Amino acid sequence: MAEPHLLDRMFTALMHGIVETGRAPHYAELAPRLGLTVEDSRRLLLDVMQTYPIGWLHPETDYVASFPPLNNLPTQYRVTVRGEQKWFAQCGFEATSVTWLFPGATVRIEAPCLDCGEPIRIEMRDGRLMAVDPPGIVGHLNYGFGPSRGRPPYL
Amino acid sequence: MNLFRSEEHARRWSQFNPASEEGFIALPDLVAFFGTETRQHMLDADYLSAWYPKRGAERRAVLERIGKTSPFWLGTPAPA
Repeated sequence: MAEPHLLDRMFTALMHGIVETGRAPHYAELAPRLGLTVEDSRRLLLDVMQTYPIGWLHPETDYVASFPPLNNLPTQYRVTVRGEQKWFAQCGFEATSVTWLFPGATVRIEAPCLDCGEPIRIEMRDGRLMAVDPPGIVGHLNYGFGPSRGRPPYL
Repeated sequence: MNLFRSEEHARRWSQFNPASEEGFIALPDLVAFFGTETRQHMLDADYLSAWYPKRGAERRAVLERIGKTSPFWLGTPAPA
């Protein structure tokens, strides 16, 4: 496992990258910035994902699929900030945490309801709910956390 | 971990797990659950080493405060 300061540098580069552009940078893009060889950057990415297991790589690849609260792979949870929709939240729960990545900005989360396809919309700023439509929106955990799940991660 | 227009919509979802009746969470509680102090430092240069390790305890404290103390929410094995 890499040294903590290296893990922090890779994590920060990934998080700032996905916030700035809507996609997580590839380890090869990050290698020069981190002063690493491409292979060392790849290994550092693997260590970061092991340390931050709530995110994941696409199976059998070194591609970042999920880097919560955002997702590299599109989900139904579209995130709009300052009129730009270029982000996706990992899931409905993590969507409520995206606000902390955009201090001072209004973050709009929009998704179709998985039952009826009708829209769900939430607006947050600095952790506060600013708008909720429809007012009855709820979160739902379909399988319990941890060992109580009884099945692999499922969103 | 999804958002629905209401509990009724979640129950009508084709993939709704009948064993997940306790899996509902009100939106303000969800905002608290995913808005703990560590979450507010996700952009910090030392988030992974200094803040992320504190996340589990924070989550548990919020879940206890909002009354979600079953294995389903706490991620602990269910009693045999």
